[in-house]
Amino acid sequence: MDDHSPGIFERLATRTEGIFDLVLPRRAAALARKEARHIVRDPYTLGMNLLLPLMMLLLFGFAISFEPKDLAVAVLDQDHSQASAKVVEAVQGSGFFKIQASHGDPEKDVESERVKATLVIPAGFQKSVGRGEDPQIQVMLDGSDNAAASVVEGYLGGVVNSAWSRLQVERGQPAPLEPLEFKTRYLFNPEQDGHWFIVPGLLVIILGLLCVLMTALTVAKEWEQGSMELLLSTPIRPMDIILGKVAPYVGLGLFDVAIVYVAARVVFHVPFEGSHLLFMLGSFLFLLVALSQGLLISVGTRNQQVAFQLSMMLAMLPTMLLSGFIFPIESMPLFFRIFTAVLPPRWFMTIVRGLFLKGSGLGQLAVPFTVLALMAVLLTGLAIRNFKTDVEP
Amino acid sequence: MSPRQRAEPKAGWAVDVRHLTVRFGDFTAVDDVSFQVAKGEIFGFLGANGAGKTTTIRVLCGLLLPSSGEIHVGGEGYHDDNSGLKSHSGYMSQKFTLYNDLTVAQNLEFTAALRDVPVKELEARKERLFKLVGFDRDEDTLVGALPGGMKQQVSLAAALLHNPQIVFLDEPTAGVSPDSRARFWAVIRDLAKAGQTVFVTTHYMDEAEECGRIALMRDGKLVALDSPAGLKKHAFPYGLVELELSGEPKEGWDKAFSQLPGVESLKPHGRRWHLEPSTARAWGQLKARLPRGLKAHVIAPSLEDVFLKIVEPAKPKGAAHG
Amino acid sequence: MNFRVLWAFAKKELGQTLRDPRMRTMLFLAPVIQLTLFGLALHNETRNIQLAVYAPPSDTLSWEIAHRAEGGGWFHLVTPASRDPFMALQAGQADAALVAPPGGLTMWVKRGHGDEQLLVDGTNTVRAAGIQSYLDSIRLAVIKERVLPPGTEQPPRIRLVERVLYNPTLESKNFMVPGVLVMLLLMGSLTITSTSISREKEGGTFETLMASPISPATILLGKSLPFMAVGFVSMHIALFAAVFLFDVPFRGTFVDLWIASIAFLLCSVSLGVLVSTQAKNQQQAMMGTFLFMYPAQMLSGITYPLDNMPKWLYTLTYLNPLRYFAILVRNILLKGGSPELFWPNVGGLLILGVCLMGLAWSRFKPTMN
Repeated sequence: MDDHSPGIFERLATRTEGIFDLVLPRRAAALARKEARHIVRDPYTLGMNLLLPLMMLLLFGFAISFEPKDLAVAVLDQDHSQASAKVVEAVQGSGFFKIQASHGDPEKDVESERVKATLVIPAGFQKSVGRGEDPQIQVMLDGSDNAAASVVEGYLGGVVNSAWSRLQVERGQPAPLEPLEFKTRYLFNPEQDGHWFIVPGLLVIILGLLCVLMTALTVAKEWEQGSMELLLSTPIRPMDIILGKVAPYVGLGLFDVAIVYVAARVVFHVPFEGSHLLFMLGSFLFLLVALSQGLLISVGTRNQQVAFQLSMMLAMLPTMLLSGFIFPIESMPLFFRIFTAVLPPRWFMTIVRGLFLKGSGLGQLAVPFTVLALMAVLLTGLAIRNFKTDVEP
Repeated sequence: MSPRQRAEPKAGWAVDVRHLTVRFGDFTAVDDVSFQVAKGEIFGFLGANGAGKTTTIRVLCGLLLPSSGEIHVGGEGYHDDNSGLKSHSGYMSQKFTLYNDLTVAQNLEFTAALRDVPVKELEARKERLFKLVGFDRDEDTLVGALPGGMKQQVSLAAALLHNPQIVFLDEPTAGVSPDSRARFWAVIRDLAKAGQTVFVTTHYMDEAEECGRIALMRDGKLVALDSPAGLKKHAFPYGLVELELSGEPKEGWDKAFSQLPGVESLKPHGRRWHLEPSTARAWGQLKARLPRGLKAHVIAPSLEDVFLKIVEPAKPKGAAHG
Repeated sequence: MNFRVLWAFAKKELGQTLRDPRMRTMLFLAPVIQLTLFGLALHNETRNIQLAVYAPPSDTLSWEIAHRAEGGGWFHLVTPASRDPFMALQAGQADAALVAPPGGLTMWVKRGHGDEQLLVDGTNTVRAAGIQSYLDSIRLAVIKERVLPPGTEQPPRIRLVERVLYNPTLESKNFMVPGVLVMLLLMGSLTITSTSISREKEGGTFETLMASPISPATILLGKSLPFMAVGFVSMHIALFAAVFLFDVPFRGTFVDLWIASIAFLLCSVSLGVLVSTQAKNQQQAMMGTFLFMYPAQMLSGITYPLDNMPKWLYTLTYLNPLRYFAILVRNILLKGGSPELFWPNVGGLLILGVCLMGLAWSRFKPTMN
């Protein structure tokens, strides 16, 4: 009970902690070693840093998908003809839609959210075909999920009409003329694999969240505990404190980078077209920026709860939502497009996607790299300068 | 030695405080306090919570900037980053002592690095200090697993690791068992004998008795500074009488008695009363008028009496001394 | 149930948390920030598409397509610095490029058949699909109106007559903003409940509480009710802003909303207590809360669709209180609250809530001894 037997992470840490002494001045290195010990001895911190990346990979890799598939639609066939049956068949067979039985009232079907849309094939459908008119199908769309509605809109027409053309051809009617066609090529992601889009972006998200949160909490904790006061009663300088606090998280961050990289390449088969050297440089820069962000937050508040909330507000929200991860920056109103320029994750996102998918070189990534470097210098400098050593804020 | 040392040496004083004032916005926590602490002294700092003790200590440790006034610790005053001042002092804080999730050895290793203790000397110093404070457990024990008293011991060892000229102890025995307290003070006595200057704040009167000199703070001001004996003499120049029940005196006897001339004050003290005479001969006269059911004997005033008298607000009848 | 104690508790808790002016601004700034984000900034439609055209000026058909695209409002025509369309897309100078065949598209079409190359930046798959879809419908329109001689008999095509219900303009804010309300209520109740209990543990004042004759139930309620109230207020601030500033419809009734909210709060507060019983200090409480909130938000249907998930994960979402509440809020706001949706989901919340409460209680009670 008294004796302390180290766990596996601790033994790993003990082996590797010598590295701090190589790169940092003595006091900072001592602080870094202490910090590393705190990390490995706290199951929650460790869990966060290891589980969160895994969880995100699982969720975004396997759970969340943006490809239209099995969208629930109801079909109310009021014609009961051969033609209408063919339409229903086409919708079913397309793979995009999954037909649910209608309860008779198309509006109610949509309202109860059993389906995203209801198709109504009116009586007289087949007859109007016979008369040579353009037959009509009514579609009732659930607009509350506007993304799904757009998809339904977009695909339904195509599905129905290509089935229709086939039907015409079968009957011996002339096929519609297509004198103009597109030869579409999707660059950088030819198979349009959703994972190629999402998984590299996860790297930005994971680092952007974790690093800010970690440093914000760790400094605030020392203030709240009172141990900061004890630290400051020694000749240690703010620069040492900052270096010492940040160093172990750089290590953790790089570890997370490795996890995501391996997952992306091996599990999701995402290609890597760019330079690995640039990748490491970019990751390192972004780590510095994110960690400094956390430091600045904790310098501003010495309270853990507030530091947490601030990190959520200033780091999580912008990183998740405004970095271009899922919601494209291009779709944003002008004001926000310009605003995202101050967000580090947005720039790192460009770098990551450029390196993985586009094969971008330093020339094309010059702007993001420069911005990140400037931000790193600025934020670290601010954190050091604002680190008040007065024990009363 | 720092090249910035002044021409006029504050030599001799371990701590030299002159007209120290610390203000936080409108609130004055420390109000024009001045005192000096000699080398090798055990200097006690007493006062109610919020009187300004911790604030003063923090200034002396280089943690807070004074609003005005001058301080010198170990001959060093406030310069740029205060590292000179800080290197001369050790600090045991009231709120936080050691990291619970690190072992004793790891905590000390960390302190050593912060305090520039040469690696070669660390083992020897640890051994010496462990012996001094009476720490006999395995140094690879997690601090969190140690009982309170032992945590204080190790904490003291950490504060002394870099052989500071002066060590500041802020309520070091708060929440610790009585025999741990006794042992702790035995260590402090040993330290002082060896020439270490100890600056300690405490709530406990029996600990205060151990100090060479005591400074009493009230509402940010220094209201008394003397040896324990001197304080008692000064506060109660005419001695103190303790009254206790031997029977059943009349209701309200204390009110009536305290109105008599010659009674400077009559205060309840646990189940007894302490009576302070106003003049040298007052007690002689009052003795006869003592109500039935009460026994009296002259006692030596304790520091607690001094504390209660000085720190409590002045009574309407008769001006407060000290 | 001692109401005086409860009230004293509430005052203390609120006082402690709201004492920090930063906390105060956060609790009331959060709704504003989230609303701005979800109401204004985030759009899941595909728009502002940069289209480059690599075609000779004489190629009227290519330019017709391009100008129609621009006229539709979703596209902007750009002239990239790169002569090579691939480089242009790689450098991010355009999102898509129309590349005419040698000689121009018009020439080929006149001869009977022409193929225009459409290069799309495939990095963002959703966007790419959208771009392709828009341009394709333009293509069809151009065929019909420009290519085929007027009066050409085309075989009949099925016409889809669409009616979009509840959100006729298909604005993303109407989809997103209800999610904001859900998150605000969650944050206000969950995070703060869990951290306030662990703050007491950390400070050591928890033992004082336990030593007092107050019943565990009172302590629990006293610690959670004030924050439920705070979350509630926060949500309503956002609601009013959403309706009056952002024009988000509110077609349901307050009563429905309140019933749903209370059922939800039952779950979130119980969760907060549960987390705090496991955590030894504030930091752990926060991490624990975070570890829950994150996947919960993603698997709730608030921002990402639930429909596409694998079956096993979809079933898992039934355990997520956020899922029910998101459906309810969206339904109440946009559709007026359909009974056949309302009761099952509220029921789900209540069942979950009771289970969570029971679990939290069983964890909390032993600590009192």
